[in-house]
Amino acid sequence: MTPAFLSAVVDTLLPGDQGVPPLPTGTAAGVAARPEPLLSHRDGAEHDVALRAIARAAGGEDSFVRADAAGRIACVRLVEAEMREPFRALVALVLQDYYEAESVLVAMGWRVEPPQPAGHPLPAFDEALLEPVKRRDRMWR
Amino acid sequence: MARLDPVDVVVVGAGLGGSAFCARLSERAPQLRIVCLERGDWVDRSAMPAYRRDWQSAALGAWATSPNARLSVDARLPSADYPIDDSASPIKPLMWNGVGGSTINWAAHVPRLHPSDFRTKALGGVGDDWPFSYFDLEPYYDLNDTAMGIAGLAGDPAYPPKRSPRMPPVPIGRMGEKAARGFNALGWHWWPADAAISTVDREDRRACNNAGPCLMGCPIQAKASADIVYWPAAIKNGVKLRTRCVAQQVIVQGGRAIGVTYRDATGATQEQPAAFTVVAGNGIGTARLLLASNVGRGVDGALGRYLMFHPIAYARGMFKEELDGPRGPIGNCIYSHEFYEHQSGRPFIRGLQLQVTRENSLLAQAARLEPAWGAAAHRLLREEFRHSLPVMVVAEDLPEAGNRVVLTEGVAADGLPDVRVEYTVSENSRRILDFGLDRAEEMLRAIGAHRVVRVPLAPVTGWHLLGTARMGDDPARSVTNARGRCHAVPNLLVADGSLFPTAGAVNPGATIGALALKIADDLAREVIG
Ligand SMILES: Cc1cc2nc3c(=O)[nH]c(=O)nc-3n(C[C@H](O)[C@H](O)[C@H](O)COP(=O)(O)OP(=O)(O)OC[C@H]3O[C@@H](n4cnc5c(N)ncnc54)[C@H](O)[C@@H]3O)c2cc1C
Ligand code: SF4
Repeated sequence: MTPAFLSAVVDTLLPGDQGVPPLPTGTAAGVAARPEPLLSHRDGAEHDVALRAIARAAGGEDSFVRADAAGRIACVRLVEAEMREPFRALVALVLQDYYEAESVLVAMGWRVEPPQPAGHPLPAFDEALLEPVKRRDRMWR
Repeated sequence: MARLDPVDVVVVGAGLGGSAFCARLSERAPQLRIVCLERGDWVDRSAMPAYRRDWQSAALGAWATSPNARLSVDARLPSADYPIDDSASPIKPLMWNGVGGSTINWAAHVPRLHPSDFRTKALGGVGDDWPFSYFDLEPYYDLNDTAMGIAGLAGDPAYPPKRSPRMPPVPIGRMGEKAARGFNALGWHWWPADAAISTVDREDRRACNNAGPCLMGCPIQAKASADIVYWPAAIKNGVKLRTRCVAQQVIVQGGRAIGVTYRDATGATQEQPAAFTVVAGNGIGTARLLLASNVGRGVDGALGRYLMFHPIAYARGMFKEELDGPRGPIGNCIYSHEFYEHQSGRPFIRGLQLQVTRENSLLAQAARLEPAWGAAAHRLLREEFRHSLPVMVVAEDLPEAGNRVVLTEGVAADGLPDVRVEYTVSENSRRILDFGLDRAEEMLRAIGAHRVVRVPLAPVTGWHLLGTARMGDDPARSVTNARGRCHAVPNLLVADGSLFPTAGAVNPGATIGALALKIADDLAREVIG
């Protein structure tokens, strides 16, 4: 599979948006920069089956690359409807890289650092909220 | 096959039940020689993903909650798994195979059963009664709480008073406070979770810092797990723990168990003779080993049957304001037992728990969207991430003989027969889930959710593996007696979640720990008088 085809698929699945801050496209976030998993030709690898089906639906990898956004989306939808599991495997694979990319975490208002060692601050619990429950009679039997 | 020196007790499985059992028995009867065989290894906390940038995708790979998902990864696994054919079950079994068992990746939400859960037959004519009461188990709940260290608040009117000490509850955060206001507005019960999580620094266990991904293990040991709360004591008391040892068979001769054969870390087969054999491999591992051992008539009737999971549904409310997202220990926030006890006039028998949880990681939230790709997925994720509030509906799963663990034709890489789970969500469970979803949505709407997503049955939630070697007085409907001894083979005991005759509608960990402690005490009393 050509890098151009993979990039076109990735950006169709992850087009990015114009929010504040904007979400980058999949390739801008670096998803197709690490093509090994996408290129893996392990026999029967589900995402690979879906990629080939997308190329077929478009009439070839180059045709998919040359198609406009609407044309690419139509091909992808076709494959999604035809082969749900392989398609989901492909989506799962690109999502993994994308949602761990720094630019995406920042755009979504989340921090780049992993959960540890900093953890997260949470306010202490206001016990006054429990007053109505504390007034209840025993509920257990 | 080498025949080892005989011991007094051989235990299979160093998970929650096996660990608690070993610690207690070795304390009460220090003269006993006790060996524990565990198929997995000690977990390496420095390898836990919470310190890594790729922590989100680790949850889909080597640190997934599902053994099948882990096995599908091409990597050295931290858990010593076996494949489970779950194609005949809409709920997928989850576990951890290593020292500490499934408490390595549990959420450590530790509610107790209600007293009524021990008497479903007497009270409502359904299920089976436990062979003892809540109050018989209560001292052991207290002991297990003390060993684990519980954060929570005394005084919940849904329970008899709990005597064990409590640390301050884990912070309920903005999500918990919001849901609490919803429950209050409707006049419904709620309470902050009992969590087996340190909220203060204690010796080698640090206070939880709300980092979040408890289901991949807690590297700072804030979360209790059996490897850190029970094994240090058990080892100090002289219990010999042999890791990477897979029990292959319980050997039964003339109606007595004479020991266990196992495959050790080098692949060699050993025979460990013992006066008592105790199996604690969890609701699937125990049934698998006992079925493979063909332990005899009387055990076979109920063995492997009556599997209970607790079917789970979710309602997620979307709010304009910012909430906590994946901050805080995932399973521990607040719960409501407003609909827990059976009430006539409802369209189902028994009841449910509404459990407000924290959110999943960004990646997990993105992956669950429908559609999960394209501009629509980006829009949805912006609306949901840090703005959603999940309410989990936990249904009481009544015991049904057709829900079961069976052996299949093949032999797995660990030398034991392949295993399959056959499970159907009953009509009653379905009605409980639908009712619970309606109530969860009612609460979410009451606090201003502008959209509510309902997940009628969440598949990757087979956290609780219960009932497949159940206790009872009737050998036709149970595998063991009240002391965990198999009816057909009295010196063969079970000490794990398989023992549950019924499941209630709460997480089982507190009860499994308490049960294993009680069974150890019962055995100690019988052996040493
Ligand atoms: C992701 C997740 C989240 C959870 N969250 C909660 C929660 O918040 N609250 C709660 O109460 N419960 C929770 N649970 C459930 C809880 O962890 C389990 O119910 C509990 O650990 C079961 O205890 P057990 O002793 O029955 O089995 P386990 O703890 O599973 O231990 C069984 C042990 O036996 C070993 N074993 C099996 N077969 C063999 C063999 N042939 N030879 C040698 N060793 C063997 C296994 O390796 C394992 O270590 C959760 C579980 C999971 C997976
Ligand atoms: S949230 Fe707390 S208990 Fe859970 S893993 Fe993080 S520090 Fe440990």
